[in-house]
Amino acid sequence: MIKQKTKKPDKFVITLCDGPTCMHKKSKDLETIIQKELDKYRIHNAVEIKLSGCLGMCDKGPIMIVNPGYTMYGSVHEKDIPEIVENHLLNGRPVSRLVIDEDHLYNRFFRIFGDIAFFGKQMRIALRNCGIIDPENIDDYIALRGYEALAKVVTDMSPQQVIDEVKKSGLRGRGGAGFATGLKWEFTSKAQGDAKYVICNADEGDPGAFMDRSAIEGDPHTVIEGMIIGGYAIGSSRGIIYIRAEYPLAIKRLEKAIALARDYGLLGKNILGSDFSFDIEIRLGAGAFVCGEETALIHSIEGCRGMPRPRPPYPSISGLFGKPTLINNVETWANIPVIILDGAKWFSSIGTEKSKGTKVFALAGKVKNTGLVEVPMGTTLREIIFDIGGGIPNNKKFKAVQTGGPSGGCLPENYLDTRIDYESLAAAGSIMGSGGMIVIDEDSCMVKMAKFFLEFTQNESCGKCTPCREGTKRMLEILNRISQGNGAEDDIDKLERLGSMIKKASLCGLGQSAPNPVLSTIKNFRQEYEEHIKEKKCRARECVNLVSYTIIEKCIGCGACKRACPVSAITGSLKQLHSINQDKCIKCGRCFEACKFSAVVKS
Amino acid sequence: MLTPLQRIKKMRAEAINRIIGKGYLSTKRVYVGMATCEIAAGSSEVMEVFESAIKNGLPDVYLSKKGCAGRCNLEPTVEVVEEGRIPVKYGKVNREKAKDIIERHLKKGEIIEEWVIK
Ligand SMILES: Cc1cc2nc3c(=O)[nH]c(=O)nc-3n(C[C@H](O)[C@H](O)[C@H](O)COP(=O)(O)O)c2cc1C
Ligand code: SF4
Ligand code: SF4
Ligand code: SF4
Ligand code: FES
Repeated sequence: MIKQKTKKPDKFVITLCDGPTCMHKKSKDLETIIQKELDKYRIHNAVEIKLSGCLGMCDKGPIMIVNPGYTMYGSVHEKDIPEIVENHLLNGRPVSRLVIDEDHLYNRFFRIFGDIAFFGKQMRIALRNCGIIDPENIDDYIALRGYEALAKVVTDMSPQQVIDEVKKSGLRGRGGAGFATGLKWEFTSKAQGDAKYVICNADEGDPGAFMDRSAIEGDPHTVIEGMIIGGYAIGSSRGIIYIRAEYPLAIKRLEKAIALARDYGLLGKNILGSDFSFDIEIRLGAGAFVCGEETALIHSIEGCRGMPRPRPPYPSISGLFGKPTLINNVETWANIPVIILDGAKWFSSIGTEKSKGTKVFALAGKVKNTGLVEVPMGTTLREIIFDIGGGIPNNKKFKAVQTGGPSGGCLPENYLDTRIDYESLAAAGSIMGSGGMIVIDEDSCMVKMAKFFLEFTQNESCGKCTPCREGTKRMLEILNRISQGNGAEDDIDKLERLGSMIKKASLCGLGQSAPNPVLSTIKNFRQEYEEHIKEKKCRARECVNLVSYTIIEKCIGCGACKRACPVSAITGSLKQLHSINQDKCIKCGRCFEACKFSAVVKS
Repeated sequence: MLTPLQRIKKMRAEAINRIIGKGYLSTKRVYVGMATCEIAAGSSEVMEVFESAIKNGLPDVYLSKKGCAGRCNLEPTVEVVEEGRIPVKYGKVNREKAKDIIERHLKKGEIIEEWVIK
């Protein structure tokens, strides 16, 4: 595995694991010793030391990676440092006795860690190949041990052994509810039926979320491999990927991947020469949020309107066409091959006591590095937003983070040290959800934020049950009133009462969670609601009716605002102080944007 | 008869050979982000620039597309991996920058620091 380097590279980067276990094993001390050695040879300019979060090899810690070459050293002891520096850094000869050359499936990212601040705290299991391989080339996937987990399962493992491994891994559904995946597999495997189905839920209806789409676009075979293994475990021969039609590139890559997998004998009849057969087809969804709910999704595949039905019976027992059906989320499926190859024991060493493994988030909003991140469970919100996300741009203050999309809640600053796992987020008053994470700064109004999500769910309600259909409409009316400056004293109480009623009385998860953004903003930002109602004030100056624009002394009379105003509300002659006719002004804010002299103020 | 596990290992060896056959062992490898978000930011054009440079005789470069690495605000991204050197990732690459990457980095070995994602 180790390549002998003949010429010394321009520069080395040493990555030291700074995760809890490695730190415990003194990785910090190593840094000092390395520095000392570098000083000795005066090569500190040619070497850069960077720290990373847990690399998933804790039992071999402390871990140290030397790049270029991606040489991973394990159990590095203080006394090994001089040898590594002299042999590897000075003479380009890696110290082979310390090199870990196990071919693990995860963390290939450290091969391309140019931007380690972004990747350093990440750990990529579900996204392990995203950004690494050509998703349209099955050879790329196979070269990185793709379909080996499938081969291992059909060669060496009984279906029950596969289920046991998934159970032991502690993997929980990544689609939102966090149900134990292995248990779901077991129920479906034990359920009686002449046919069984496997479904991949790739509906991804959350506004702003793009985790599942990216996972499929970057590595479609992982999802396919996961599903075939699931089919083997429960005794099914048919899989369906339900994906929304608005994701054309993901669909194209899936189609291509499925066709290639069939060509290679990895999908279809007698997979890899075994007596197990399984095939996958794609079904397109029309893009209704509620169709992501599992029972609605099943109705939609059956050709009916995507409306939820009460559970039980759960799809595991009676799902598609009344047959036992195993339905999991894209990210859940993507974890399966890793669990099989690297083992449940390893997988369950990552994360927290009750939430194992990693979680993918779509980090968006007022944060410097927006993007797709995957972190071990137990990483704090602060680490995600500030270490990976790079903090809030333009020197603004952090105000809140919204997790879990329209079903989730908003957490203020004092929750920044909350660890992300199913239980901690729920205890803090939000949820993990499918992984949307929107950062909000001081310029955003929480009433508007709540309104945005409620508007979304209200639009997407399928209308089957009254509390969800009518209740969310009423809540939205109240919110609109508040943001227009017409709120009444008891509106907050009304929102809270309505909200808890809707949560209790709705049939499906959409209605049951729709009030969450409103309730959590009331809980954490009640004062802002009160300001809107009592003082007719929006401190973030986002609620249009509560904002007014005026021109102050700074005005040099350039006339730019006047030209920008669509309703001719601005008067003033050239080089004179201009002014705004408040009765005419429609508060479009164009003058504010047009003025180069900060003479138009928003209040 | 091979077991499925033996089969996949054989397939893996063949897959690796095919990738090598496509030039994977070139001293320079270029990866262009080609996910929906990257394409929306203009990565197809960037890809074209590299493709036509190679067609017109740029030697010893292996070109591949890749999925989204997660740097949404810095897209399109281009990664240059060279034998014996720290891989470099460029952010917000457009047609012009791609041409410069070819001229300066791929041909002359110069890393264009100001575009590197740090
Ligand atoms: C309104 C609503 C929308 C949902 N949307 C999705 C979705 O887009 N993707 C998804 O995987 N699960 C979604 N779910 C959760 C699914 O019902 C189901 O729990 C999940 O697909 C199970 O897979 P998992 O155990 O792997 O998470 C949604 C649930 C509700 C109530
Ligand atoms: S809660 Fe809403 S979305 Fe769910 S079934 Fe009732 S009306 Fe439809
Ligand atoms: S753009 Fe600014 S400086 Fe110019 S006239 Fe308007 S308020 Fe005055
Ligand atoms: S906010 Fe719009 S309508 Fe009002 S004065 Fe400025 S440009 Fe005119
Ligand atoms: S803490 Fe270093 S590998 Fe886990």
